[in-house]
Amino acid sequence: MNRRQLLSLMGISPALLAGASADAAPAKLQSDSTSSGSQQKFVALSPKGTPPPVQRFPMAPNLTSLDGKTVYLVDTGFFGADLLLKQVADWFQRNMPSVKTVYRRKAGTYPEPDPKLWAEIKANGNAVIMAIGH
Amino acid sequence: MGVPAVAMVTEAYVDLAHSTAAQRGMPTLRIAFTPHPVWGKTIPQLHALVDGADPVTGKPLMKEIVGYLTTPLSPEDEKSGLFPVSAGPSTIGPDTLENLQAYFMNNGMTDFLPIIVPTEKAVDAMLKGTSHHPDEIAGRIGRGVTDTYKYTVRQVAVNAVMAGCDPSYFPVVLAIASTGFLALGGSTTSFGYSMIINGPIRDKLNMNYGIGGLGPFAQPNATIGRAWTLMGKNLGQGAVPGQNYYGGQGNQLNYNNAVVVEDEKNSPWTPFHVQKGFKPEENVVSLFDGWDLRFGDGAKGSGAIMPKFDEQISSMFPTLTRMFNALVILDPLTAKALKEQGYDTKEKLTDWLWKNTTISAKDYRESFLAYVWLYPRALKGEEPYATWWKLPDDARIPCWPKADDINLVVMGGQTNTFFQVGNMNYIRSVSIDQWA
Repeated sequence: MNRRQLLSLMGISPALLAGASADAAPAKLQSDSTSSGSQQKFVALSPKGTPPPVQRFPMAPNLTSLDGKTVYLVDTGFFGADLLLKQVADWFQRNMPSVKTVYRRKAGTYPEPDPKLWAEIKANGNAVIMAIGH
Repeated sequence: MGVPAVAMVTEAYVDLAHSTAAQRGMPTLRIAFTPHPVWGKTIPQLHALVDGADPVTGKPLMKEIVGYLTTPLSPEDEKSGLFPVSAGPSTIGPDTLENLQAYFMNNGMTDFLPIIVPTEKAVDAMLKGTSHHPDEIAGRIGRGVTDTYKYTVRQVAVNAVMAGCDPSYFPVVLAIASTGFLALGGSTTSFGYSMIINGPIRDKLNMNYGIGGLGPFAQPNATIGRAWTLMGKNLGQGAVPGQNYYGGQGNQLNYNNAVVVEDEKNSPWTPFHVQKGFKPEENVVSLFDGWDLRFGDGAKGSGAIMPKFDEQISSMFPTLTRMFNALVILDPLTAKALKEQGYDTKEKLTDWLWKNTTISAKDYRESFLAYVWLYPRALKGEEPYATWWKLPDDARIPCWPKADDINLVVMGGQTNTFFQVGNMNYIRSVSIDQWA
């Protein structure tokens, strides 16, 4: 399934990426040859709810280089993320030793924001790598 | 945060990661992928993984991440503003019923069983089951990291028609919808769901709370439960396996969500909705989420004069996950036997079960779901999780923080003294009458 099909199935207009509104015209079906002709036709109602509009946020400006910068490695709390991020820190040590890495486990369960950590990163960090998943 | 960021996600969640970023207003968020899973890998394996390639792009993983943090932004990255989103056309067709069936199924709107096609006439008939205006907002759902979808009485009616509900059932379906708690959460955990229905509406709708009450033997039981699943598919962001539904094995309960209709007349105890503060004459639906239902093996000491159902129920609890609580569904015969044993209220039984069913602190801490969901609460100092996490390995603790985490309901045909234990959380109880 491509990105356009996925977003459509989820009720998100693929046009979002292009900044246009979606088509609200009735869906037209491709009739198969065995069901055309004299069979009675009906209009059905969509069972879909109404999605919210999306508030787009601009990306934060990127750095020109990571030299001498502080990169926060944020663990969302799934098993293994801590060990993975330690290997990420090790990679920086081996390949970009001027980069300082700071490991933090995010407070709360994985979907919860951690405003205290976000503030710390904004004050002391230059970039974030956040490990998500299993 | 105001600083450049990269999400590092395992490759099982490629579409979920991109669609979530888009829904959160960051469709160009930088996301790097690792092989899946990360959990259970050795240090050398993780070392190789970090030194290896992003399995989605084929590029060296860490160089890709560094590039994501240092490449200048494009004009698309800097866009902001409010963008409308459409759920697609509000009507489908005109076409034959056969083609409409195929359209609904092929567009992820069904449970892959045939539906009643929601024609305008059928939906109008369903809407006569409530006094509420078709355009009234019936509920909102904002699940996990997604923003809030909203849905009208009419949109709920469409799903009720599809499920095969009679219009007389519609207030029950609306009450469920009004909670914003819809079935088919997308978690890898494969959530299952259940509901308890109380009040006179049970008989008015000819609901089954006797023989085979949890089986396929009554239209209201079958279709009200099915409507909950269809609403979960359609009224919010939906549930597409591998895209935004990740239940590893899925859950068979999702087909109709274990509709438990309490046998208030033959129960020796207070009805469930009255326990939750409603009047006996009120019609109420109570919702649960969790994992499963499993049968108990009657009573311990079944050859004895006084068989012990309390001990048999207790013996089943330690195998349940701590992430969810307990819902015990007792046949009236079992409930009456427990009353004769001395439990003349539900509270006496739940209190005994809570105090007399314990697990070791070690087993508790080593549970995967306790680690993911309860350890973070321990770290924040929330009790009793904080204390439990510090106890010696052999310390004994209750299965759940309080006796109220064990819920009891009475239902069954009195053909044998069985019961079922659900690993289920009580969510909330809502009035059905307010949606009549």
